[in-house]
Amino acid sequence: MLTEQSELVAQVFCEVMEKLAFMFGEPADKQRSAPPESAYIQTKMTYTGQTSGMLALTVPASLCPQIAANVLGIDPDDERAVAGSLDALKEVLNVTCGHVLTTLAGETPVFDLSVPRTSTLDANQWTDLLDRADTVALSVEDSVVLLQFAQGRQA
Amino acid sequence: MSLSVLIVDDSATVRAVIAKTLDLAGVPVAHIYEASNGKEALHILAEHDVDLLFSDINMPVMSGVEMIEQMAACGLLEAICVVVVSTEGSATRIEQLKSKGVSAYLRKPVAPETIRRVVNDIMGAEKC
Repeated sequence: MLTEQSELVAQVFCEVMEKLAFMFGEPADKQRSAPPESAYIQTKMTYTGQTSGMLALTVPASLCPQIAANVLGIDPDDERAVAGSLDALKEVLNVTCGHVLTTLAGETPVFDLSVPRTSTLDANQWTDLLDRADTVALSVEDSVVLLQFAQGRQA
Repeated sequence: MSLSVLIVDDSATVRAVIAKTLDLAGVPVAHIYEASNGKEALHILAEHDVDLLFSDINMPVMSGVEMIEQMAACGLLEAICVVVVSTEGSATRIEQLKSKGVSAYLRKPVAPETIRRVVNDIMGAEKC
């Protein structure tokens, strides 16, 4: 069961993916999510302002070149898509974070966003993340991606 | 008239997308310079003539806001059209940037037709 906030974050992510990468996402059932893959890429960023928090996007490593290819408008086998995989994923998160903040807080407050960082997750870490209450599972191009949004203190 | 363009973003992917978008939008470009942060951009501006600058806000080393403030202090904003391309949607931030002399603010993701319209609009302005 998604909270209203999680639904909004998921909706914003899907809109960004559609506009930026021409890929379509929809909520996925956590209980029926695809079996774990061997490697995942997670990109994470924080924000500070009237509230502070964190947004993280975790995708199967195999999906990254496809996202980069779509953002760049090139073939997934193109070496530029492979080289730009992490970069494109960070950009998807960066754009999503900006739009999530205006969706939730409006256009008046100013937030400072951190530069997105990436790391590699294994299948166990993926499963732990999937089980978290603040994680939303979404299906993108037959892959399951996880979006985690954690809002902290009110300034 | 072909333009000399500087694209400032820490994402090589975004720089490539903006360059491609300029091409798709039919903007006449003579040369494209690229920088991954504000500091690199200021070095390029010190050595090359630039007509049009696209910049992100959130970048490591030197942010877009710091870069724009330094450009304003040097009088560079009177000669160069600056278009901020950012994910941020704060109206307060946008007004702050425009008050410093930024020509336009575009929110990511940006469609090619939006880039073309904005470039056409600001190229008609006196300072460009």
